[in-house]
This record gives sequence, C-alpha cells and structure tokens, in this order.
Amino acid sequence: MLTSVSREVRVTQVNLNFRKSLSGIEKVGDLGQCFQCSACLPDCPAATFSPRFNPRDIVMRVLLGLEESLVCPDSLVWDCTTCYACAERCPQGVKPVEVITAIKNRIAEAGLLPQQVAGAVTNIKETDRVIVHSDTVDRRRKELALPELVSGERLIQRILRGEGNG
Amino acid sequence: MGKYALFLGCLIPMKNPQIEKAARRVFEALKLDVVDVQGFSCCPEPWNFKGASLEEWLLVAGRNLFLARKNGRDIIALCNGCSATLIEANHLLAEGGIEAKRVLELLKKRDVHLDGKVRAAHAVEVLYRDLGVDKVAKSCSAPLKGLKVAVHYGCHLLRPSEIMNVDDPFSPTMLDQLVEATGAESLPYRDKMACCGSASMNKDVSLGMARKKLMDMEEVGAQALVVTCPACFDQFDLGQIEVNRKFKESHSLPVLHYFQLLALAQGSNSEEVGLSRHKIKAKELNKVISR
Ligand code: SF4
Ligand code: SF4
Repeated sequence: MLTSVSREVRVTQVNLNFRKSLSGIEKVGDLGQCFQCSACLPDCPAATFSPRFNPRDIVMRVLLGLEESLVCPDSLVWDCTTCYACAERCPQGVKPVEVITAIKNRIAEAGLLPQQVAGAVTNIKETDRVIVHSDTVDRRRKELALPELVSGERLIQRILRGEGNG
Repeated sequence: MGKYALFLGCLIPMKNPQIEKAARRVFEALKLDVVDVQGFSCCPEPWNFKGASLEEWLLVAGRNLFLARKNGRDIIALCNGCSATLIEANHLLAEGGIEAKRVLELLKKRDVHLDGKVRAAHAVEVLYRDLGVDKVAKSCSAPLKGLKVAVHYGCHLLRPSEIMNVDDPFSPTMLDQLVEATGAESLPYRDKMACCGSASMNKDVSLGMARKKLMDMEEVGAQALVVTCPACFDQFDLGQIEVNRKFKESHSLPVLHYFQLLALAQGSNSEEVGLSRHKIKAKELNKVISR
C-alpha cells in the first residue's frame, strides 16, 4: 500500500496582467521584444555594485508576471541609478529603466514606497521644493546678494488638486 | 539668440547658491537674455517624484513649462535633473501618447494650455548650441592655462538620447569643448560616461560608483572635476568625504560646476564663485587661478 507523502509546496504567485498594469507603458517600448541578450547589463552601475540587481532579469520577471518579487517592500528596483545606459544599449528598443519607473509607480500605488522616497515626495508636495526651506537658505542667499527665493505657496498641491495653475 | 527664463530648481538655490551666483555672472558676461520668472516649483525631480507617479510628475512639469510660455520665454536650467524633467515632459506632452493625453486633459481643466512652442534646455546646451564654443572662448579674459580637468557629463544631460538629442550618449564632446574654451585641458579617462551613482538608494552602489569615478580621474592626474548638475556635485563633493570614511582613503579632488569654472576663466576670483564653501578645498586649483 502506498503511503501518501505530504509535501509542502510554496507557489510563486504569477500575475499575467502585471505587464499591462504598468503605467507609462507606451514609453516602456515593446517589452515582448526582449530576447534576453544582456546587452543592457555591462554598463549598468547598479548591477556592477549590487549582486542582486540585473536589468535583463527585471524585464524577464515582468514578462513572466512575477509581480510579488518586484512590487514589495525594499524592492531591488531602488538600486537603479536611472542612468539610462540600459535603454541606450538595448538592440530591441526595450527600456529597462522605464520599466523600472513603471514598477516604482506600482510600488507607490501599493503604499510600499521606501520611507526616504515617501518623505521626499511629501516635502515636494507640501513646500514645492525638494529640500526644506530653512532660514539658513535665506541667509546664504542674502550673503551672496541673490534674489529672494519663494517656497510654500502650494503651487504643486493646487495643480494636483485641480485648484488652478497659479 | 533666444529669450530665457532662469529655472533654478531646488538644489542649486537652496544648497549650492554659489553655483547660481557664478551662473548669473556668466550670463551677464555673455550678454544672454536671461530673466527670473516668479512661480516655478520643483521641476519635479525625475527620481523620487517620477518614481511615485508618472502622471503627477507630468502635471507639475506641464505647469512649469506653461509658466515660461506665458512669459514668452524658453527655459534655461543649471541642473541635469531639471533639464531632463522639463525636456522629457515637454517631449512626451507634445507627442501625446496615452499617458500624456490624460495629463493634457487634466491640464486643460486647470487652464494650462501647451501649444508645443516652449523649449527647455540645460544652460550648457544653450552655450554650446545657441552661442557657440568660439564666443565662450572669446569671453575668457583669464584663461585657465595648465589646469587639468576631468569632466563628468551626468547621465541626464545626454540621455535618453533620442529625446535630449544634443550629443552622443556614450562619446560626447560638448562639455569637453566648453571646458577647453576656458583654457583648461579636458583629460580622457577610463569609463568616462559612467554614472555618479547619486540616485541609487543602495549605498554600496552609490558610493561604489563615486569612488570608482574618483579613482579613474585621479589615475590620469586630474586637478579638478567638472560637473553640470548639483546632484552630481553633492555626490562628488560631500560624497568624497563619505567615500574617504567608508573606504579609509584620502581622495581630495576639488569639484566645480561648469559655470564656476567659466566664471573663473572670465576673471572672477575663487571667493566670488564660492569655492571656499565646498567640502573639498581647491588647493591645486587656487595655484592655477591665483593672480
Ligand atoms: S532589455 Fe534589451 S538589452 Fe536587455 S536583455 Fe532584453 S533585449 Fe537584451
Ligand atoms: S538605468 Fe538603472 S537598470 Fe538601467 S543601466 Fe542604469 S542603473 Fe542599470
């Protein structure tokens, strides 16, 4: 008589719509044209210094629908320096760097932005500036006789919320 | 010659105003028609903000482009991030792909109408294309003879090349020519087009790239490193201190924005372009420019 052996299976979730769900897809180029040649790899600074990172592999994971491995906390896509070398080198018109930006957009929608990124974005939205506008900024500008710099007029919030363009 | 609105962005006017000061001196010396326009926001930067939402990034950039257009001016920027965002967004909105169509609708509802007539460019591109290297060279009354410079283009000045459309993305000469116009020598060095690493969230990548570039520049005897972007500037100036700490090394290569170099060659002294504010002091450089 056969004894049944219980085996634990960990299924990797595949999302066949992952590729289509990426924003800005028209800029990503035709992902389906990727023939996994690795021409995007040699000039990639992130791959040179981060063993887990490979632009060819990221494109493959998108094509296979392996969403969970990319849209997750501390995703490896944040290793990318957005240097565009991959897109310049690809012989097939694929733009791994734009695929990565699209994945980052999905990470943001899922509420999984790294704290540092979320903080920077919030500051820009609240003050219209990428860094905090302190008194030191104004003092140094005055020392150099530079014109006054205005921040915090909610210009960005207004345009995002549809409250006007001023 | 065009009429330009100065797009300062955030990092230069807030963290490195000495670069803004130098650029203003240069614009005056070259008699470029550059004015300040009130109401620009962050471009917004093409790393975190674009990573969070392509749509919001396009919306905010569209507003900045519109503001320049309303003032009848083209945008001139001092930062590769600002110029990359504004040039790319301008291109995408003019092309009108799926994503752009949605944003253009939203912009219309906010009374922002883009007719595709505004141009955005990095100031280095304006000097190279609109003014010409010869005129820049003629403006240099105090040429920096004998100074050996390693230039770092910064990825976004040239890429994506089909949109920036200004020079070859792997073997450009624009910045080298502009540096040589100041009398300095632009050195060839290994992996010249490699990225500074600034935008990576992984410190191994970020500092690893900065360190590799410093070593490649030191190898050929560079006395100064010239950039066109405040993010690259911080990565190499402040970053050099971090590299030294992390790898127990003692790199001391002074970093200048191109407009500081040009202002020096036009006769400004090192104090006037704010070199004493830099983390890495310009000892060797001061010998060349001391007069
Ligand atoms: S993205 Fe392009 S360069 Fe990279 S593996 Fe695919 S086809 Fe090759
Ligand atoms: S943009 Fe990102 S993935 Fe592409 S080569 Fe640069 S670091 Fe690598």
